[in-house]
Amino acid sequence: MEQTCQKSSVNAAAVEKNKKDDVRQRCERLHKNIAEIQYQRHSMGIDVYDDFMRYQESEHRQQLEKQQKYDAKQLMKFQERMDIHLGGHFEFVDKPTKHFKFEFIPNGGGNPFHNLEKSSVLQEARTFNETPINPRKCSHILTKVLYLINQGEQIGTTEATETFFAMTKLFQAKDPILRRLVYLGIKEMSKIAQDVIIVTSSLMKDMTGKEDQFRGPAIRALCSITDNTMLQSIERYMKQAIVDKVHAVSSAALVSSLHLSKGSQEVVKRWVNEAQEAVSSDNIMVQYHALGLLYHIRKNDKLAVTKLVSKFSKHSLKSPYAYCLLIRIASKLMEEEDAGSESPMFDFIESCLRHKSEIVIYEAAHAIVNLKNTTAKELASAVPVLQLFCSSPKPTLRFAAIRTLNKVAMKHPAAVTACNLELENLITDSNRSIATLAITTLLKTGNESSVDRLMKQISSFMNEISDEFKIVVVQAIQSLCLKFPRKHNVLMNFLAGMLRDEGGFDYKKAICDSIITIIEENPEAKEAGLAHLCEFIEDCEHTVLATRILHLLGREGPRTPTPSKYIRFIYNRVILEQAPVRAAAVTALAKFGAHCEELLPSCVVLLERCLLDTDDEVRDRATFYVNVLKQTQKALNSTYILNGLQVSVVGLERSLHHYTLEPSAEPFDMKSVPLETQPMVEQKTVREPGETVSAKPSEKVAASRQDIYAEQLGAIPEFANLGSLFKSSSLPIELTESETEYVVQCVKHTFSRYMVLQFDCTNTLNDQILENVTVQMDGAEGFDVLKTIPCPSLPYNKPGTTYTLVRLPEDPQLVTGTFTCVLKFIVKDCDPNTGEPDEEGYEDEYVLEDLEVTVADHVQRVMKPNFSASWEEVGPENELEDTYALSTMKSLEEAVKQIIQFMGMQPCERSDKIPEGKSSHSLFLAGVYRGGHDALVRAKMAMTEGGVTMQLTVRSTDPNVSEVLATAIG
Amino acid sequence: MGLFSKLASLLGIKKKEANVLFVGLDNSGKTTIINKLKPEDAQQHDVVPTVGFTVEKFKNKSLSFTAFDMSGQGRYRNLWEHYFKECHGIVFVIDSTDKLRFAVAKEELSMLLDHNEIKRKRIPILFFANKMDLRDSVSSVKLSSMLKLEDIENKPWHICSSNGLTGEGLSEGTEWLSREMESAIKQQN
Repeated sequence: MEQTCQKSSVNAAAVEKNKKDDVRQRCERLHKNIAEIQYQRHSMGIDVYDDFMRYQESEHRQQLEKQQKYDAKQLMKFQERMDIHLGGHFEFVDKPTKHFKFEFIPNGGGNPFHNLEKSSVLQEARTFNETPINPRKCSHILTKVLYLINQGEQIGTTEATETFFAMTKLFQAKDPILRRLVYLGIKEMSKIAQDVIIVTSSLMKDMTGKEDQFRGPAIRALCSITDNTMLQSIERYMKQAIVDKVHAVSSAALVSSLHLSKGSQEVVKRWVNEAQEAVSSDNIMVQYHALGLLYHIRKNDKLAVTKLVSKFSKHSLKSPYAYCLLIRIASKLMEEEDAGSESPMFDFIESCLRHKSEIVIYEAAHAIVNLKNTTAKELASAVPVLQLFCSSPKPTLRFAAIRTLNKVAMKHPAAVTACNLELENLITDSNRSIATLAITTLLKTGNESSVDRLMKQISSFMNEISDEFKIVVVQAIQSLCLKFPRKHNVLMNFLAGMLRDEGGFDYKKAICDSIITIIEENPEAKEAGLAHLCEFIEDCEHTVLATRILHLLGREGPRTPTPSKYIRFIYNRVILEQAPVRAAAVTALAKFGAHCEELLPSCVVLLERCLLDTDDEVRDRATFYVNVLKQTQKALNSTYILNGLQVSVVGLERSLHHYTLEPSAEPFDMKSVPLETQPMVEQKTVREPGETVSAKPSEKVAASRQDIYAEQLGAIPEFANLGSLFKSSSLPIELTESETEYVVQCVKHTFSRYMVLQFDCTNTLNDQILENVTVQMDGAEGFDVLKTIPCPSLPYNKPGTTYTLVRLPEDPQLVTGTFTCVLKFIVKDCDPNTGEPDEEGYEDEYVLEDLEVTVADHVQRVMKPNFSASWEEVGPENELEDTYALSTMKSLEEAVKQIIQFMGMQPCERSDKIPEGKSSHSLFLAGVYRGGHDALVRAKMAMTEGGVTMQLTVRSTDPNVSEVLATAIG
Repeated sequence: MGLFSKLASLLGIKKKEANVLFVGLDNSGKTTIINKLKPEDAQQHDVVPTVGFTVEKFKNKSLSFTAFDMSGQGRYRNLWEHYFKECHGIVFVIDSTDKLRFAVAKEELSMLLDHNEIKRKRIPILFFANKMDLRDSVSSVKLSSMLKLEDIENKPWHICSSNGLTGEGLSEGTEWLSREMESAIKQQN
């Protein structure tokens, strides 16, 4: 069948070709004929070609002129009217086809102010100076000025001032439209023009005048030009306006007061009585604004706010908006007080659930749901309300309810399950936002069996929703995958389908993040996930994502059962992509070569092809990897390909810079560079299902924290020659209770032979100033206290730092110890208000808690992505092995946590996570010991009746280090 | 100008409009005088110091005035100049009892007369020697010599004593001003 098809298409092509040839031949013949005739005629004095053309042209021209005349007439008729009514005009358009067309050209998509130019508009604004004033014209020009300002056009101070003064002359005109535009103009210009104060009296006149529709806007404009010094003079009028009979005036005055209170809290505070009066207004807006002002005046006084809420919650307010505000204030109070459902505030909020206005009911339900420590009992009152809203005919209510439910679904899935029936109905809602939220909520609360059905439903309208909501869906799927690992097949396929669709960078990134997280959490999904990602990078326009996926492939691919199938995808990148992706692909290839011996020859061949790449980076990487791989030494592979650099990048930069500044004959020593501090991995694993991977930026900060310390210490001359900082303890150790007179925290900085103890002290007594503050340390055997650097002065509530330098013991086995610490200082009493200290002080001391130096202080965490390679690399020379019975440990998890804490080392290969239901486990730890010695620990643990039994194997490049680490537990 | 308003002005029903600038030191009585010139029902009872300026309208027999009541306080005096360009007449009000600040008033006057917008134009200037009812007030003749009004060259000027509270002397002054302005407007046309 296929063959015949092909054949017929071949035939068709042949026919086509014949036809074309035919035409061409005929044309040639014709031309020849014409040329012949032309020649003959020419010899007779007639030119055929010319003749014909002339005839045709004249015909055409006549037609054209006729048409044009008619069109022009029509045009004239329409143009003026169109200009005004449609914001556009008709015009002849010269089409490439030589046909003139009569088309409607809108003025910038129907916007009459499109293409306004600043200078010409400001020029026009001079019209304001003319007398008599033409209100219509001036309104139009002023609108243009306002339009420009609102479009973000920058107007210089001189220009603005000139325009502003021209505008002030418009106060002559009584035209209401123009006057109100002037008010707008004043508000817009108040921040850019000078001497805006000039209109104060004019506005005060309007504010107190008879024309009600001028009064409100005049108040708003007045408040925008008033500064603190002028406020006194308008105070009387503002007070009057707040209690004015006209609602618009009262509202304007209240809201303006709120704005004014930002700058001059004190003056506005005096208007509290008027605001109080306005709360009892029968207008809903006035009441709302008045309550807002009252709250802002009192918001710093917690007691007053509590009174406010309890007062107004009893005497019923008329305005639903005021109720909403009150609910917000109440819930904020509850949050500050950490109050539960027994609080009177909660009773009030709960009573609002029975209010007759929907907005109040929703606000109350929303507040209850979002309280910090809600229990199922409290939710029981709020959720039914939201459930009711879900079936409301109003889309806004449905949306609000479903959005709130969606949020609670993460915290209290059980409460939301009750609404499942309503949610099911919302899946087919015509509003896609509502439908998406309904489905994602169901996905969060639903059980395993409903997943397939929901996924089907959601894929039916995936194309219709925006990227933003698609990301919501992706995140829901990710959390679902972690919840129901068995469903990864369906979900992964769905994600892969989404990956193929159109979408922006954020959307694709969310999908990739999700797939990567799923791969990391669920080993069963690994192969399918990697396959999807491989497919994705075949056609990926985002370099960042492509490099990231290649890195992942390099790490995970070699350990899959059939690593060879990934090679093709990676090598395709080398051929097809731009330089950064090629470089990443080269690295990935090298990792395959280093890890899988059977692939090594092919990988080397592929890498050799990259040796002639046009990009420097790619070529360098290829050369480096080829040479390393050809050595076929496991140790080399492990250090240079599989595990990579472990120094902190900032530290490396600083060290290299330092090295170039002071060149020496010795080569640069990598060991002098501080290691990259690993962020706490434990925090990441307790991530709640449904939460997204957004903690990335904070990790970066954590990684550079040590660099900051290094810089701080380097700035102190006494510590300049200690060498490079090896490790700073991650969390400061509290040496006092947090509520005592003096608060002291300690950070331990380890150098190769010294230790600097940094004491961050805070004085919490406002009637004392401490001077010459030091910490005296005693007691640890073998540790010599060499120097203390005092903190010269420690005033109230300003943290200060004192340092103590300790030399570590010569004996390499002696690394731990306990110090007793005493804070010593000179106290000077001072006046709590002024901070003026007395002349004389007296010595005093304050006993701190003991400080311990542990094994963990000497070890820096290091991540070895490929632990077994490193294990072989270090070799068994300094291996120590011992068996322990950890009787105090009740579970494997606890044992793992404790061991990591004792050793201060980094768990590798995700070995800190124990699969459920296992009774034995192997923990792999990696680190670097002070002095740059690699240290690896393998702990095989088994759960027995009497606790946990552990076999600990330590390998290190230094025998003493193995000894120290082996004795750390015990 | 529409047909109707043309007709109205021909018949003299519609009055010509003129912009008048009221300047002078603070507390000299500018706002009080304007308040008195306004029709009875639009007058205000309490007069407070002006901040910046206000616009008021009033009429006499021949002209309809748009008065720019400028603030006289020191920090706002430099803002007067923004309104010089469009004015057809200037009213300079002086507190005739405030002998101490005559020198200041003279200074402000000469600055006003020296201003680019005013210098070249033939703008009529009316001086009100206000607060004539008070006992220690200086007479208008004496005031004109103290302010050296005779040195004003290219501008018509006139001084009259006034009492802003009762309205005494105000009509005399505005009559003169409207006459001068009318003739100036006629000359322009």
